[in-house]
Amino acid sequence: MEQSHIANVDEKRDFEVNSSNLKHVRSFCREVFEKLNINQELKDELVLAIAEAAQNIVKHAYNNEQTEDKMEIKISVSDGHLEIGFFDKGRPVEKDKIRHRKIDDIKPGGLGTFFIQQIMDAVVFKEGEKPWINHLILSKNLNN
Amino acid sequence: MTYKVTEEGNISTVHLDGEIDMDVTEKAKEVIMPLIEAKKEVHLNLKEVQYMDSSGISVLIESHQKAMELGTKVTLKEISKSVLKVIMMAKLEQILNLD
Repeated sequence: MEQSHIANVDEKRDFEVNSSNLKHVRSFCREVFEKLNINQELKDELVLAIAEAAQNIVKHAYNNEQTEDKMEIKISVSDGHLEIGFFDKGRPVEKDKIRHRKIDDIKPGGLGTFFIQQIMDAVVFKEGEKPWINHLILSKNLNN
Repeated sequence: MTYKVTEEGNISTVHLDGEIDMDVTEKAKEVIMPLIEAKKEVHLNLKEVQYMDSSGISVLIESHQKAMELGTKVTLKEISKSVLKVIMMAKLEQILNLD
């Protein structure tokens, strides 16, 4: 299907950092992606990538510990370029330690980052500007 | 996620329904693992699973490996399109038992 005339969007939402909110993260993404003229398969992949990144915040930035902190997810599309920002106040991400497991090493865990990298064009970790600690940016050109 | 378990001889079929993410993996394991530990052959019916993430895939891998260790088998049945896509993305279609 030709993917032209992709609408520009710019939406953000806060979520409490816990695993029970991952379904709300997915609902938010689905809501936003409904506005875009992209195919369902791509929408599903993007929802998966975003949910995996949000899950990593719960699991790694907060060690799955109870918190009242919120994370912010911002989805922007401009001229067919999608950028998703994740902001959290958890433990600083050690960029050098982020890697997915070898895909032929079959064991539970370590697949989330692999999925994100498969789906997105670029994954960039930045130091968050106050009050945030971590700022992750996932991007993808939707015109391809 | 909701589930239903049916029994036929030594085969236990777990019908999973809904979305399987990190929030429900413990619940899924609590249903599946005791069946494997009882050395049942386990069929996981994934027809009504609309979404599965890496945590759900981990449950499938863990179940498969536990079953192999105990000399039994986990087979995935009626896999929904969206789950199959994630299984293939993880390059597990040759590892897990798909039916």
